Amino acid sequence: MDFLGLTKCAQGNKTDVVLCSYDDHFLVIATQIGAMGTILHARKEEGVSIEPTFNVSAVFGKRDEPMLLACARQLIQHISISGSSRSLVISLGLKDHSAETLKGVVSAVIENRLW
Amino acid sequence: MAREEPDVEALNEAISSALVFNDEVKDGGGVQITCFSEVVNDVALHFQILRLPKQIYVWMGCDSAKLGHIYAAAPTRPKDMISVTSILGGASDNTGSGIARRLVLKTGLNIILACNIPKNSPMLEAEAEKMLVQKLIQLGYTRAKAEGSSS
Repeated sequence: MDFLGLTKCAQGNKTDVVLCSYDDHFLVIATQIGAMGTILHARKEEGVSIEPTFNVSAVFGKRDEPMLLACARQLIQHISISGSSRSLVISLGLKDHSAETLKGVVSAVIENRLW
Repeated sequence: MAREEPDVEALNEAISSALVFNDEVKDGGGVQITCFSEVVNDVALHFQILRLPKQIYVWMGCDSAKLGHIYAAAPTRPKDMISVTSILGGASDNTGSGIARRLVLKTGLNIILACNIPKNSPMLEAEAEKMLVQKLIQLGYTRAKAEGSSS
């Protein structure tokens, strides 16, 4: 098990990012609110077609924020392209769900990725 | 995208030092991360405690480093009753939900627990829970509760 914690500044808000690598999952926590916030689960599904399909769902917290799902989807795709078939659990406790904030989160995670 | 050398060195150092399972406490900004391991009856128990300002995430691993099932537990109104919910997995194996509930009972914290302790080992479960509660008290993360805890 491997982990990394860092602090970034996204749109003027201090964001704590923690990345953990487990045997079968990656865990990403990005928080500005002092709590984990909305937790999403993203996994790659092995299908018959050449292109992999991904299943992304919010399992705790806000279920009606499409930008959070998009963020999880981008990251699971990146994980899949890097050759790992592990699932992703991502928790986003953000003050705003704008595209800029989420892009910042995605780039911070990819820059410091554990896969 | 070229990365500057000092950043790579710092990152490597952070990751390699994080692999030491020896009461390691690291401060990732507003987050405190503590990892430790114990051996109980030839079984290695691994713990990771991540303290956020208003919540605590705990991972308990048994021999492997799998994430396991995730539960959320917190005191809820009225009367600070403990509520537990399964977030990931936990349909047939809900060992973790009991642990999560008792953790909140004993510590008064808002907890997310990821647990891969097997279901038919009550002794292991009890030992792991005891070690975790002791560690949380030792780290000063617990909140004083008005009433005494009853197991």
